[in-house]
Amino acid sequence: MIDYKKKLVTLSLQIKSIFSGHPIAIAGLIGFVIFVLTALLAPWIAPQNPYDLMVLDIMDGLLPPLSKLGNGTTSWLGTDAVGRDILSAVMYGLRLSLFVAFMATTVGSIIGVFLGLLAAVKGGWVESVIMRAVDLKVSFPGILLALMMLAIFGTGVDKIIYALIIGVWASKARLTRSSALSEMQKEYIDAARISAIPNWRIMLKFLLPNSIAPVLVMIPMSLSGCIGAEATLSFLGVGVPITEPSLGLLIANGNDYLLSGKWWISIFPGVVLVSLVLCINVVADRIREHNNPFLKSMNMQ
Amino acid sequence: MNNTPLLKINNLTVTYPLNSEGSDVLKALDNISLKVNSGQIIGIVGESGAGKSTIGKAILGLLDPPAKLVSGEIRFLGNSLVGLSEAQFESLRGNQIGYIYQNPMTALNPVLTIGEQVTEAIEANTNMRGKNAREYAIQLLERADVSFAEDRLQKYPHQLSGGLCQRIVFAIAIAAKPKLIIADEPTTALDVTVQSSVLQTLIKLSQEEDIAIILITHDIGVVSETCDYVYVLRNGKHIEQGATVQVLEKPMQEYTRSLMASVPLIEKRLHRFALPNEGKMEGISTHLGYLQEDRKEDFSSNKTILKVTNISKTFYTPSTLFKPKEAFKAVRNVSFSVNRGETVGIVGESGSGKSTIGRMILGLEDITEGNVVYKGKDINSITNSEERLAHYLSIQCIFQDPYSSLNPRMTAGENITYGLKIHKLIDPKNAKSLAQDLMVLVGLQRQDADKLPHSFSGGERQRIGIARALGYRPDFIFCDEPTSALDVSVQANLLNLLKDLQEQFSLTLLFVSHDLAVIRQMCDRVIVMKDGEALENGSNENIFEQPKHAYTRSLLDAMPKFQGLAQS
Amino acid sequence: MIKYILKRLWHSGILAIVMSLIVFFGLYVVGDPVEMLADDEFTEQDKIELAIELGLDKPLYEQYFTFTGDMLQGDFGTSFVYNRPVLDLIMERLPATLEISLLAMIIGLAIGIPLGIFSGIKNNSRASKIISFFTTVGYSTPNFWQAIILIMVFAVYLQWLPASGRGLTNSMFGIEWAWLSLNGLQHMALPAINLAIYKICMQQRLAKSGTQEILYQEYMTFARAKGISKNRIIRRHLLRNILIPIVTITGLEVGGLIAFSTVTETIFSWPGIGKLLLDSIHMIDRPVVVAYLILITLMFVFINFVVDVMYAFLDPRIRHQK
Repeated sequence: MIDYKKKLVTLSLQIKSIFSGHPIAIAGLIGFVIFVLTALLAPWIAPQNPYDLMVLDIMDGLLPPLSKLGNGTTSWLGTDAVGRDILSAVMYGLRLSLFVAFMATTVGSIIGVFLGLLAAVKGGWVESVIMRAVDLKVSFPGILLALMMLAIFGTGVDKIIYALIIGVWASKARLTRSSALSEMQKEYIDAARISAIPNWRIMLKFLLPNSIAPVLVMIPMSLSGCIGAEATLSFLGVGVPITEPSLGLLIANGNDYLLSGKWWISIFPGVVLVSLVLCINVVADRIREHNNPFLKSMNMQ
Repeated sequence: MNNTPLLKINNLTVTYPLNSEGSDVLKALDNISLKVNSGQIIGIVGESGAGKSTIGKAILGLLDPPAKLVSGEIRFLGNSLVGLSEAQFESLRGNQIGYIYQNPMTALNPVLTIGEQVTEAIEANTNMRGKNAREYAIQLLERADVSFAEDRLQKYPHQLSGGLCQRIVFAIAIAAKPKLIIADEPTTALDVTVQSSVLQTLIKLSQEEDIAIILITHDIGVVSETCDYVYVLRNGKHIEQGATVQVLEKPMQEYTRSLMASVPLIEKRLHRFALPNEGKMEGISTHLGYLQEDRKEDFSSNKTILKVTNISKTFYTPSTLFKPKEAFKAVRNVSFSVNRGETVGIVGESGSGKSTIGRMILGLEDITEGNVVYKGKDINSITNSEERLAHYLSIQCIFQDPYSSLNPRMTAGENITYGLKIHKLIDPKNAKSLAQDLMVLVGLQRQDADKLPHSFSGGERQRIGIARALGYRPDFIFCDEPTSALDVSVQANLLNLLKDLQEQFSLTLLFVSHDLAVIRQMCDRVIVMKDGEALENGSNENIFEQPKHAYTRSLLDAMPKFQGLAQS
Repeated sequence: MIKYILKRLWHSGILAIVMSLIVFFGLYVVGDPVEMLADDEFTEQDKIELAIELGLDKPLYEQYFTFTGDMLQGDFGTSFVYNRPVLDLIMERLPATLEISLLAMIIGLAIGIPLGIFSGIKNNSRASKIISFFTTVGYSTPNFWQAIILIMVFAVYLQWLPASGRGLTNSMFGIEWAWLSLNGLQHMALPAINLAIYKICMQQRLAKSGTQEILYQEYMTFARAKGISKNRIIRRHLLRNILIPIVTITGLEVGGLIAFSTVTETIFSWPGIGKLLLDSIHMIDRPVVVAYLILITLMFVFINFVVDVMYAFLDPRIRHQK
């Protein structure tokens, strides 16, 4: 019974109203879409599969941009020490970075929203336990926590995602709970209760849709935060494994060669990383401003 | 009295842009002219959107962008106030023209003490400093009838009551002995007993210090008690002006006439508010039959439908490590009964417990002591789940805040029929047309059933709430201050609608309000409450014409007296 | 007020205990403390001896008490790599981290807050838009990338400042400080700037949105209506109100500083506790990692407590809460 076409139309109208007149935000949105598409299509449009060790030829190592490779193709952005084409590496790295960030943000947000709602509705000791856990997590900077976890439990793409999820859920839980608590004071909830509408329906159809707006506004910030965090962790060597580099790891690899003039190994992944995060942040800012034109939220986490 | 008016406004127009190019504008004020002589108290009256506050802000250069003063003149003692620089305004504000805000709790800075905020105004506008300023501050507070003035200097706004804070705001406004004070709804946020004494203080200050006042308000009663001359505005336009008695009792414009006819009177109870009929119930399909089914029972009006016996409600704050459990008795030992078809009113100020009683009857709050018997059965004793459901659905509620009583993410139609569908009381296929019929019944358009609540005005949202309640075919409706948040003309229409519906569907109403005049117009019997106790209980005539309890008398005395339209 | 402080103290105490329980649980129950604290060169016999020394044959609650007891006495075990007590190692390197963190915080507050208040007041001006754009870019650039650029520009290209090491130190109160020597200051510059950039951006954004929120409050308009001068309004009304959120966020941000110092110290080879942590992770010097975890936790609990108390000082509504 969900009218998809109507929802699509409403969604595009909403996007139009949020973004029109703000060229920077539109540029950010377009940039983000391009990045996502590149990441999704990487296996088909990248000149080379940089993870496939059979394809790499160490004789192609450390070539500057626009050089010709052993197999005749042109390497647009140059190659790294083991002969990886930087352009392909960046595309695949983008893919990995975005994958990790999306997974962590989505799962973390779902867990956070669920726990926040539960805390608001159940109250009592359930709420106390959940909120104390949130306090605990919030008093720790996310990166440090992730670093610790990875140090103790080992590294790997899945472990990074878990570590980042722990970074994401707490702020969503807190937001959802306070939003739900204030919605619960409203009279339409009373109206539902006096008509004996069951609690689970109240939670799903009345509370949830009306409490979730602030969380949705925060999601782009979490996304960019996760991308940055994963990049930092990978750069420090506790992130993704070296066989499947993300943008952060690529930058780390190239770091050693910066001083000897082989700048392309680090700079290109770096530029892509910064642009990606910038695009998301610019869009996130615009959404936040639109939501609250006069009163901007103080909560940055 | 010299001839130059203190303040003269000519053809003032202020606009707000509606789009980013500025091609589409909303005229907050459209060609408004007014005049104030020294020592006068003039009223600017109108409903929401009239532009009354905008005038006050425009005079003092406090218009927030993107509002723009597009054309017109404002002259104070002959000097133009249009286009002054911020520095020039600064020397004018406080000094020559004072300003009083509606909500004293937000007008005062929460992190500064009262003393700091009063002396700040003194130091900015006079030559007094330090100890002199402090002594003068105490004098000002005393003149504004603030008790224990010296002690209050150390306090913070949140530690004091609303009425006290408003008096402090008055004190600040008169600090530099300005010639004119703009009072923007100075008593709206206060309880009615506090309102009248605060108004008296304002009038006294005006007479003692020879200060002219522009009193901006939506409350006709306040205008009738305080103003010599009044201007009526509507949507930024000038409708009428004149001496107060003239405009209020013998208005010339139709809008003014219907505005005055909407004001509920204390003097006598009318059958309906004298407003043009809304012309409804056209094109309703057979679903109306749905609403009139099941009313086979006997409707003799002396059958008791609700009996409340000795109910009490105590709220507990949980004990912590630092303090024991605290108890707050919101309702103490209240008993009354309601007969079928009646309207019983509960009147009291905020904190009197009137809403809590309703919430107990509705089942939203537990009953600490006592019992509630509805249609002969105690709510808590029903074990059969079907009977229990029927019991719940038979008692409905119309809520106070139109902006929070509807689910913002469901359409009007869905809000109305969601519960009915869940409980399988209607066939989902018929839900939409039933919703549409109900909307027409309450005076809305049937095609609006698919719109979300934010597209409707406050009064329209309340009507959706009524439609929702009616959908359950209730016998009993608890009305929790359903019109407090509405403009007076919208209120009058809604109350007329409620009376019509009550007659048509033989409803019994329990009507709660803090507004005595509304209770006078709506209710057959009245219960007066204070601090959780029922002080007096009687018929409408007895309570209003021969009140027995001292509190009831004080409530009646505090209400501004408005005679209503003169009979033509 | 006293009640409020006691309440927060109680909360902090509980938090500290819970954290210690979590760490204990993680180490002693989920993980294997012998593996955690045993070197690769330990023989089986050594391991058994270590187990007995750690009291692993005793009941759990006794182990917990030994664990916390040792900690409270300052015994966090011995580093494998340096073969010295971990606490000594950490204390040695703490001043270095404190130096650049404090400097970064001061720079951040001194530049970020005024910029933010300015952007908040003059929201639509060109200057404000440019400032906001730069801070958005700044805060979108990951810490390590900023460091790399800083090194490329200032150390390699312009050759104004050194890119690694702490330089010369002088001692005060028996501790070696780099800021007491010119050479040390030069070495401090880039790492401190690296940390500061993020802070400046965050503070600017916070101060801007906080200012805008306050400006629209009715008491600001009322203050103008009273005839108070604009400067006085900013000084008195705005600043007093904006201090509240800024202080609380700054307090919590100390955590961010410590976290990012890990990255900064590594890139600039600055011998602080952040670098110690990372090196220890790579060299699998687990006692150091564990001790770091515990100490950092306690530090955060303490910071949160201080922030809560300061909050009460600044906001009279909290002070008078029953």
